[in-house]
Amino acid sequence: MQYEILARPATAVAKLTLESNESITCEVGAMIAMSTGISVETTSGMKGASGGFFKGLKRMFSGENFFLNHFTANQPDQTLIIGPTMLGDIVHHDLRGGSLVIQGSSWLASDVGIKIDATWQGFGKAIFSGEGLFWVKATGEGSIFLNSFGAIYEVDVDGEYIVDTGHIVAFEDTLQFKIVKAGASLIGSFLGGEGLVCKFHGTGKLYCQSHNPPNFGKLLGPKLKPR
Amino acid sequence: MSGLDFEISQRPDFAIVSVQLQPGQSVFSEPAAMASMTPSLKMKAGLKGGLKKALGRMFAGESMIVNTFTAESQPGEVVFAPGIPGDLMHYRLDNNSIFLQRGAFLAHSEGLEMSAKWGGAKGFFSGHGLVLLKAQGTGDLFFNSFGAILEIDVTDDYVVDTGYIVAFEDTLDYKVVVLPGSRPAKTIKNFLFGGEGLVCKFSGQGKVWIQTRYIHPLLSWVYPFRPVQSKN
Repeated sequence: MQYEILARPATAVAKLTLESNESITCEVGAMIAMSTGISVETTSGMKGASGGFFKGLKRMFSGENFFLNHFTANQPDQTLIIGPTMLGDIVHHDLRGGSLVIQGSSWLASDVGIKIDATWQGFGKAIFSGEGLFWVKATGEGSIFLNSFGAIYEVDVDGEYIVDTGHIVAFEDTLQFKIVKAGASLIGSFLGGEGLVCKFHGTGKLYCQSHNPPNFGKLLGPKLKPR
Repeated sequence: MSGLDFEISQRPDFAIVSVQLQPGQSVFSEPAAMASMTPSLKMKAGLKGGLKKALGRMFAGESMIVNTFTAESQPGEVVFAPGIPGDLMHYRLDNNSIFLQRGAFLAHSEGLEMSAKWGGAKGFFSGHGLVLLKAQGTGDLFFNSFGAILEIDVTDDYVVDTGYIVAFEDTLDYKVVVLPGSRPAKTIKNFLFGGEGLVCKFSGQGKVWIQTRYIHPLLSWVYPFRPVQSKN
């Protein structure tokens, strides 16, 4: 599979070229346009697998759709253009063993060989991380496409690193994070507008997004007419 | 007839076009598209093409009013910017026609005729109205979108989610269909649960322009953040 990411960073889309029998699993609704030599299969689990009901249910709690769409080329040189609905960027991550932990709505697509599952990060993180209750855990080998709100930047963490809540896109599972207060005192942390932050430790790759969707929504909302 | 002297800049997020007019030349735009201009140009608002054409434009999601910018004795420059941030495309018509999705029209040169085209019941399900805007003749056309515009050369068949179509050449046939699955039962499942729903299937040879985002998901996302009206 060849890929090209276009219109970065504000309204990015991924243009994929599939050869015969190549497949990709996408988030529901991600397809924008495609050649007609591609067939689509909707399932609640991995391609060709049955009984993915609970997987689907878990995925739903992680902010993704219950269903997955699998696109398979049945002719050579087929184009598929995919993108998220919100404004923002797309990055490609090459997963070589291990897992990538992805913020609920940031998973866009991945190779069919990669297992997509929901993961629970514990109560503290569920409530305070500014992300969803569950996270998406991608395991296996192949390509993953992530999307963000705003631009995506990459951080190679070796030791410790702090990310504000709501700015995490994904991280390699060689990293762990805990919720801590941003400043020395709790009151100071909240007055500074940072409040609680996520403190990572370990060695691995971390993807952050430049903008935090709930913050943007809270700025826009009061300027609109009441509903 | 020679084409307009123009330059598109700030693509793809805040695209604008500046047009240089020679004495005697005119350019037409949708209302409020003018961002800046030299004082040598005369601007006139009117129902171009008569009431019938104006009503047609209204049904195609555009304004009935068209603004005309004319360089009389002096040359001049006018800069057009769409009302919505996004991308902008130029297309040169040579005695052919092109269809635009609702709201995609920005400006055109002399020699073009804009009219409403009944998209047929097949346009009905796309959620974008029944009527397309048709540009025909010989001249320059500028159209815009939310998100970036990608140009696709269709040589056989191509499928586009109905929400993402910006424009297409009239040499293409189009049909609104359910996203094709591998088996009939799968097709129904795709339609009900696959989230892709209805797509537009283009066939023949020609160009299709698609946008990388459409505005409705952003609007539905922001909706819950609106304040709630108090009951008392």
